[in-house]
Amino acid sequence: MYPFGKGIKRYLPLLLLMIPLSLYVVFYFGPSMMTVIYSFTDITNVPGSKLNFVGLENYYSVFNSGNSGERWDSIIRTVYFMIIVTIVQNGVGLLMAVVINQKLKGDYFYRAVFFLPVVLGVSVVALVWGLMFDPLSGPVNQLYDSLFGYKDMFFGSFTHAFGYIIFTQIWMYMGYSMLIFLAGLQSVPKDLYEAGYIDGTTKWQSFKNITFPLIAPSFTINIILSIIGAMSTFDIILATTDGRFNTRTMAYDVYKETFRGSLQMGLPSALSVVQFLMILVFVVFAVKQMRKREVEY
Amino acid sequence: MVKKLSAVLMSSALVLSLAACGSGNNTNGEATNAPGNGTDKPASGDKKVIKILHWKQENINKVITDINKKFEEKYPEYKVEYTTTGPDDEFKQAQRARITAGDVDVLADLSGMRLSPKDWTPGAKVPDWQQWIDSGLIADLSNEAFVKNYNANDIAKAGTYKDKVYAIPTGKVAMSGFFYNKEMFEENGLTVPTTWTAFISLLDTLKSKSIVPIVVAGKDVWPLKLPVFGLQSKILGGGDQQKWIEGVWKGTSAFNDAEAVEVLEKMKTLQDNYFIDGFLGIDYATAPSYFATGKAAMIADGTWDAPTIAAANPDLKFGYFPIPATEDAAKNNSLVGKYDVTWYAAEKGPNKEGALKWLEFFSEPENYTEYVKAAGFLPTQDNIATDSDFIDKELAPYMTGDFELAYEIMMINRDNVGEHIAAEGVHTEYLAPGGEFKSAKELADVQQKEWEAAAPK
Repeated sequence: MYPFGKGIKRYLPLLLLMIPLSLYVVFYFGPSMMTVIYSFTDITNVPGSKLNFVGLENYYSVFNSGNSGERWDSIIRTVYFMIIVTIVQNGVGLLMAVVINQKLKGDYFYRAVFFLPVVLGVSVVALVWGLMFDPLSGPVNQLYDSLFGYKDMFFGSFTHAFGYIIFTQIWMYMGYSMLIFLAGLQSVPKDLYEAGYIDGTTKWQSFKNITFPLIAPSFTINIILSIIGAMSTFDIILATTDGRFNTRTMAYDVYKETFRGSLQMGLPSALSVVQFLMILVFVVFAVKQMRKREVEY
Repeated sequence: MVKKLSAVLMSSALVLSLAACGSGNNTNGEATNAPGNGTDKPASGDKKVIKILHWKQENINKVITDINKKFEEKYPEYKVEYTTTGPDDEFKQAQRARITAGDVDVLADLSGMRLSPKDWTPGAKVPDWQQWIDSGLIADLSNEAFVKNYNANDIAKAGTYKDKVYAIPTGKVAMSGFFYNKEMFEENGLTVPTTWTAFISLLDTLKSKSIVPIVVAGKDVWPLKLPVFGLQSKILGGGDQQKWIEGVWKGTSAFNDAEAVEVLEKMKTLQDNYFIDGFLGIDYATAPSYFATGKAAMIADGTWDAPTIAAANPDLKFGYFPIPATEDAAKNNSLVGKYDVTWYAAEKGPNKEGALKWLEFFSEPENYTEYVKAAGFLPTQDNIATDSDFIDKELAPYMTGDFELAYEIMMINRDNVGEHIAAEGVHTEYLAPGGEFKSAKELADVQQKEWEAAAPK
């Protein structure tokens, strides 16, 4: 009846829970909520300055000032980035996971290699690909030149830079998707494949009808993670093009307005609230769709 | 229903945590400050600590560390804590954090005291430094004796706000020209051009001998502004930039008027024909090596980079000349530039008295000379011997008149202007072939449109 004893001891679990909860509230939930509140004020980063509520003025100036066209471009680019990264990263990740799951020789090695970029971190990845994509002496341009007789400006091209950033982002995180898929694949019971084999399924049929439905939970988590990850990406952009050459996204704009813009913190707060709401909409939609698909045999 | 709700809650929690993860990274900016480079250990005993914040720039950091050592020897009761962060954004973040927290005594700024709104700039943004002064965070230096060590005109131009002195501009740099390889010029029988036509024919000669005329670090974009500064100061407003700048606010001149288009067109000529192929892919750190190793005859760069070029190839003989923007040789014959490192003393820092003492020590001609020599700046104190051939022989002939400030220092942007005129520049990187604009006029029209769109409502 009283698993934790009587009297004050009964509240011990609650008290213990209070520690992480208060940490969460003070350092996480609180600041997040303050961002929402700040987005309705004219707060500045100067000590002693007064704070006034200005209603929706910050949101108005996000969408209706001299450079709002660029904000819309950023939003469209963010969605584009998210869709391509989510589809390609998970597609490639799944393919790699299935191949590695065939118990080929050296699968541990390949698993480690594919996961390596995640461990390397953004700065290193940006540096590596910055050198690979160097327009003057980089190996990729030499390859392009010898294969197609064509040269690209890569991260210095107004039309192609964003594509190369998407490539780099996918290259970096596909190992992460692969690992989650691999865990899902290894939890599929072997006897289902044996039963299928006896019934004479082809490889494609067994993948389509056994593997694919059973790894649906991995799909859900992978898709959600890549939607959130892609829509809040600013680091790889910062490290490769620094937002130049038509590569700004919403998350980058938030960073830029906060740390390089004026001392006004209302506008960046409003921008991050808009970003949060957009991510929320996409994630809720994705979760609903993905949950429908999850089955158990 | 409960399941649905929990799904929504779960996902929003995920979004919150992960989204915050993403943006959490950048707050580490200041934590990664210069572990090896400068941060002294906390003071021992009862020594009074003077905290100085500066950005990383090797030659300057080194000389300031030396000056600090001498200061501590002369005034043993003080301990100088000299912290450096990465330049630009990282420094700006550190600057804001430290002055807000009252955790700094002497604060560096790049080209301080600029962009202050004027009566002809309705709705312009108030810059950081001005908000700090208005909130009483910066010390008034007007009555300090060491201010008199500096050239009164420089202090008035780059250290004064509302008739009070708040900042010490420690040096000037010029940036509207090209370094050129003297040997290469001699071998090809070329001399420093003084008019635009002569300049173009020189570039053609170089090209006809398969020499790359000019290298520029286009990947960082801002180095493209440097030759443009020269064009702007000589062409806009018929040579009176200030008039043109006030004009765009008042509507008497425009980003797409004939003069502004001429600036873009001349830059387009250079970009299309005479800059190294793929200049948009060259970053600022590697550009000097192209010039120093003779892969290009000239480099568009600021005079502050002379030590870097000299270090990259000590045998190289190089000079510097302003971009000959017009056909009028006399008008072309000067460089434009800006004030570089600027010191503020914090009013509410932990040790204001120490900050003033340090600034006084720094301003002593002997220490200042040491500093300005190492930094490669043109001095803002009078009668300082820099012992530099580059400054005395190459730059001095172009710096005889009143110091001409660059467009980025004089221009005051409207709040929220579009990207083609953002950051007080005209962004010629948007011109074809790299960018989308086929002609200078097209870019100029978009710039004017963006300027008008940003007009206060």
